Amino acid sequence: MPVEAFARYLQNTSVSLFLQSQSAWLWPLSETVHFIGLALLIGATGFFDLRLLGFMKRVPLTVARQFMPLALFGFGLNLTTGILFFVAQPYQYVVNWAWWGKVAFLLVAGLNAMFFETTQGARVLAIGAGDDTPLIFKVVGALSLLAWFAVLYFGRMLPFFA
Amino acid sequence: MAFLEWLQHLPVFVTIAESGSIWGYPTILVLHTVGFVFVVGSALIINARLLGLGRLAPLSEFGLLFPIMWAGFTVNAISGFILFAIAATVKAAQAIFWIKLSLVAMALVVTVPIVRIVKGGGEQDAVPARGRVLAVMSLVAWTGAIVAGRLMAYIK
Repeated sequence: MPVEAFARYLQNTSVSLFLQSQSAWLWPLSETVHFIGLALLIGATGFFDLRLLGFMKRVPLTVARQFMPLALFGFGLNLTTGILFFVAQPYQYVVNWAWWGKVAFLLVAGLNAMFFETTQGARVLAIGAGDDTPLIFKVVGALSLLAWFAVLYFGRMLPFFA
Repeated sequence: MAFLEWLQHLPVFVTIAESGSIWGYPTILVLHTVGFVFVVGSALIINARLLGLGRLAPLSEFGLLFPIMWAGFTVNAISGFILFAIAATVKAAQAIFWIKLSLVAMALVVTVPIVRIVKGGGEQDAVPARGRVLAVMSLVAWTGAIVAGRLMAYIK
C-alpha cells in the first residue's frame, strides 16, 4: 500500500521524530485542545443546523450564522492538533479503518457546508424571525449533524478499532 | 474502601470493563463524549448570547437549548457513573477526578441563575450585567471540567 509506505516515511522524518520525543506533554495538551475545539465546532455548527431544520424559529438565520466564527475557531484548533497527531503517529492512523471513517465524514461535512454556502448562501438573508426553512435547508442541516456526529464517533472509537 | 471494591466487582461493571466488545466500554465512552457536546455546546451558545453575540434574536428563544443540555447531562451522569464504577478504586484515588467533579458542580450551580435570566428574558434583548458575569463563570467552569476530564487519562 503506497499510503502505508508514505506513513512509514513520514514517521521517520525529523519533524515526526521530534513530535514523538515531546509526546509526554504534547499529547495530553493537544488532546485537551482537541476536545475544546470539538465543543466549539459541534456546539456552534449544531446550533446553526438546528435552525436550518426549523428549530428556534424566532432566531433569524443571519443571527444564527453569527455564531459560526466559534465553529471555525474550533475547526482551526482541531485541524492543527489533528495534523499534529497524524504527523507524530501516521502509521497507527492509516492502518485504522475508524480513521478513514473519520476522514470520509469530514469530507461529507465539508462538501455539504460548501454546497450550502455556494448555492444557498444568498437565501439565508430571506429567513427572518419566525420563518420556516425550505426543504433543502433541512436536508443540509440534517446531513451536517449526521456527518459531524459520525466524525465524533469514529474519532472516539480510534483506540478500539486499531 | 470496601464500598468501591464492591461496586467495581458487581457483575454488570465487570462485564462492561472486560467484555472486549465495542458495545461495552467504548460505547459508554462515545455516549459520554456525545453528552459532553450536548451540554457544553448548548452552554457555549447560551453564554455567547449572554455576552452579546446574536443579540438581535430574543434571549428567551435560546432557552429552547436547555432540554438539549439536560438530555446531555442525564446521559453523562449515567455514563459517567458507569465509567467511574468500572474503575472505582482507581478513579476515587485520583485528585484530578475530584477536581473535575467539583468543576461540573460549579458549572451546574452557575447554570441555575442563567436559566432564570434566559427564560425570564421574554421579548427583551438586554442582558443584565450579572448575566455576563455568570456566562464567563460558566465558560470557565466547563472548560476546566474538559481539561480535568482529559487529564484523568494522564495524571494517575
